[in-house]
Amino acid sequence: MADIQRRLQALSEDYAKLQKDLQDTVTSRQKLEAQMQENLGVQQEFEKLKDGETIYKLIGPVLLKQDRTDAESTVKGRLEFIEKEITRLEGHIKETQAKMEKKKTEIIQVQTSAQAAVGAGPQAVKGRA
Amino acid sequence: MNLSRRMLTKEEEDAVGDEIEVRREDQDKINKFSRLHSHELTLEEELKVKNKEKEELDDITTELELADEDDLVPYKIGDAFFHLPLPQAQELLGLSTAKIEEEIGELEDKMATIREEMTQLKVELYARFGKTINLET
Repeated sequence: MADIQRRLQALSEDYAKLQKDLQDTVTSRQKLEAQMQENLGVQQEFEKLKDGETIYKLIGPVLLKQDRTDAESTVKGRLEFIEKEITRLEGHIKETQAKMEKKKTEIIQVQTSAQAAVGAGPQAVKGRA
Repeated sequence: MNLSRRMLTKEEEDAVGDEIEVRREDQDKINKFSRLHSHELTLEEELKVKNKEKEELDDITTELELADEDDLVPYKIGDAFFHLPLPQAQELLGLSTAKIEEEIGELEDKMATIREEMTQLKVELYARFGKTINLET
């Protein structure tokens, strides 16, 4: 009986860890989404620029003049990186969700076998499912 | 996550023997440790922010060294930009950098003090409670 309890405890902790991992990944993905929107906005502004208009970048308290081609390629590079990162994180999210489902099944299995082992009466073992 | 020190196994629990009484002063120490740790985390966050600011100031200082002497530099003061002559902008940057370095120094000093206090509390609490307390952050 103590073994089963310990096993459930360990599985619960695993599940909690996965949950936290999922939460962190989702938060990161949201941040990336915001960054992407920001950079897309900048790109749109660039497209509206007429010849001769200057681009400035805010570094600390100073507006520093930027070369138009450099600025455009920097933003383009950033957008490409962000898109790649988002795809990667979405893959990780799916993976983690799958792992959580498996863990849930494991927990239920252990719980049912615990009930079977004891026989009389349901066991109220609290696991996070 | 260091799970090995988190909870005692049944064997370890038996080996410890009778529970040690938690006196008022022990609880105070534990609470103090917790408060100090929270404070430490806050200071760490602040330090991160200030270090990032300093990095930006260093970057722009270097950039301006390459700038044309005759250019006017748009310098942000509050919510407005002032077109300043290069030397004046560089002077203001120097002042800001010095100020931030001072603030960073103060934060690091505060954190050192907190960590010393936490180490001392750890020594006292581990001496009294041994394995039955976990103070690893």
